[in-house]
Amino acid sequence: MEYEIKVPVQPPTELQSLFIPIPPEYVEEVYRSEDFLVLVGPQHPGSGHMRLIVRVHGDIIREVIPDPGYVHRCVEKIAENRLYIQNIPLVERPSIMDALNFNLGYVRAIEDALEVEVPKRAKYIRTMLAEICRIGTHLYDAAILAVFLGHTTGFMYPFGIRELICEVLVRITGARFTSSFIIPGGVRRDVDEQTLKFVYETTFAIEKRLKSFERIFIKNPTVIARLKDVGVLTKEEAIKFGVVGPFLRASGVEYDVRKVEPYEAYGELDWDIPVADAGDSYSRFLVRVNEISQSLKIVRQCIKNMPEEKLKDFRGTFFDEFADIVLPQGEFTTLTEASRGTLIYSIVSDGESNVPYRMRMITPGWLYLRGFMESLKGERLADLQAIYGSFGYFPPEADR
Amino acid sequence: MEENIKFLRSGILAPIKKWGTHWSLWPVHLVTACCGAELAHAFASGYDGERIGALNYGIARQTNLIIVEGAITRKMARVLRITWEQMPDPKFVIIMGTCGLNGGVFWNSYHLVKPFEVVPVNYFIPGCPSTPEALLRGIRQLQNEIRTGEPRSSIEFEKVDLGKGKMMPVTPKSPKKISLAPSIVVNVPRKADEETKKLADEISKLGLATTVTGKNRIALRVEKDELVDAAKKLQNFGFDHVKNVNVIDVPNEDKFIVEYHLGSYSKRELMPVVLNLFTELPRSEPKLKSLAKIFPSADYMEREMHDFFGVVFEGNEWMGRKFLLAPDTPEYPLKKDFKLEEEKYLR
Repeated sequence: MEYEIKVPVQPPTELQSLFIPIPPEYVEEVYRSEDFLVLVGPQHPGSGHMRLIVRVHGDIIREVIPDPGYVHRCVEKIAENRLYIQNIPLVERPSIMDALNFNLGYVRAIEDALEVEVPKRAKYIRTMLAEICRIGTHLYDAAILAVFLGHTTGFMYPFGIRELICEVLVRITGARFTSSFIIPGGVRRDVDEQTLKFVYETTFAIEKRLKSFERIFIKNPTVIARLKDVGVLTKEEAIKFGVVGPFLRASGVEYDVRKVEPYEAYGELDWDIPVADAGDSYSRFLVRVNEISQSLKIVRQCIKNMPEEKLKDFRGTFFDEFADIVLPQGEFTTLTEASRGTLIYSIVSDGESNVPYRMRMITPGWLYLRGFMESLKGERLADLQAIYGSFGYFPPEADR
Repeated sequence: MEENIKFLRSGILAPIKKWGTHWSLWPVHLVTACCGAELAHAFASGYDGERIGALNYGIARQTNLIIVEGAITRKMARVLRITWEQMPDPKFVIIMGTCGLNGGVFWNSYHLVKPFEVVPVNYFIPGCPSTPEALLRGIRQLQNEIRTGEPRSSIEFEKVDLGKGKMMPVTPKSPKKISLAPSIVVNVPRKADEETKKLADEISKLGLATTVTGKNRIALRVEKDELVDAAKKLQNFGFDHVKNVNVIDVPNEDKFIVEYHLGSYSKRELMPVVLNLFTELPRSEPKLKSLAKIFPSADYMEREMHDFFGVVFEGNEWMGRKFLLAPDTPEYPLKKDFKLEEEKYLR
């Protein structure tokens, strides 16, 4: 026998004061149906801020509406008001653990416009630095994934390894994170033999520590149980929603900017693209773990094949030499494979000013946000954090 | 109530409370921006903040300390205030990074607020980003303050009399050179390899006029009404996702240029190509049909462009509402007539 319970349903009035960007009709409709709205965030245990407005039926997620912009710092507008070279420190702030890849993409757009030839040794140094940052970012994301899964050792271990990465970056560039080391036409200064030797040895130290991390976290049965077959994105979906980087490769698409449009020294080195077919959270994680070993391989090759050449030292004369860069008229777009995926810079110049007329910067996080939202549909609410972590979504990067 | 608080702070149990607060400053996790990476280092195995009694924690109601990591946006300022109000009695705030001090690299941004205008601040930690050592030093200073009752700076610098320095008689001009009548052309033809030219010719056969703007870069101009048709044709040709939606505001020609950068993941020969499909709109009536139905990957970027420029993409369900920006942000901030504060050069 069924009883009808008549309870007047009123959507709570706080919804307006809480800045919820969805229309009140939607909230009312959810309240009148059997579903619930769960607000996840904006305060997060892991990686910056964003709010997910999750509509659940029981504990099955039906729809997720993202509410980004908690870390939107207006990089694009500020870039229109500064000199080309003053934007170099600006563009690497959105994702500081991946600073050199972000730096590289911007500088390549300028070099593409000015048709500057970069010395070969500088190219090798840039490639090496970009790969070191890639290792660092993948480790950072692994640590954040561990926090999301409630695995404290899994957080501590990659950060222990990251200290080595920071040490390497300090020795080469002088800064732990934001070094602004790559400049139009090369790098700020040369790297000496002793430092290169240190970097070479560090790659083996990282590899050794990664083996224990594999035992502790990557192959840990509890981790596999949390991640396997969760948040699946099929190949068709991944293409349709424009997912990028390791997350695209985890769904079976063999696309890597470093291979399809080789820049810097990538065309001359020997390495593979790790690809998985499953498209679930675990394969998204594994692809990035395998990328770390490929990156270590690239770093070693860079150091071994480093051409002997004398690079110019720009310390002291940098501003005088570069302040008056004026790009020719037109639009210059570069694709870069940052750690989390394709990074796009599109600079529009009027041909007369020494500030960009418009600089469009699209970060990987912003590109795969749609795919991330779609992969949550049909999953359990408890798995939301596992999927979030498996995407390594970093709001400061996505919001810019 | 007042009496109770007074008793807690200076009654007979006050020393115990002080001692407890001193060694259990578990800062609430408010990873607002990039300094969060250094904060994570400070509490991970390398620097181990837990040994001085501070550990990152997720819940605002059981902590006495907020560490604001870097920039606070208009959206986040509300959250910061709510979090601060929820904290139990001794409330401390440490601000990390230059962005919290005076804006840092983002000092003239339209979406940032100064955190010290939102909550009272106890300590500032300089650096962009501040190192873990500096952060732990800041926490030590706060513990020192709790123990002794007096706030103290961790470093004291020698005092320098600023009035005596020589000022330049004329302040230098800004090095910026900005064209007053910029002419914006997106499809400037440039040298390219044979393959790109061949591909551009193939696309031209679809009835669309192409320009080669570089190696693997093709620009394609269409009229506003033909945009959807052109997008469908290109989808059949093999382009399967949108990499970028961009709007360029050109006030002196009274137009918006709307660009869609298309790419392909499924056809190997199209993989490196970026096809710039663009159209022009009058500034007074910026409306065009959305491509989000054809390419779902364009959806969020169209919403973002609507936030920034006020261009209406008809058919996208989010039009008329803010997506990325806070409700109290100035209207359409990326238009050229919205000016940011200019820097002043003093010497």
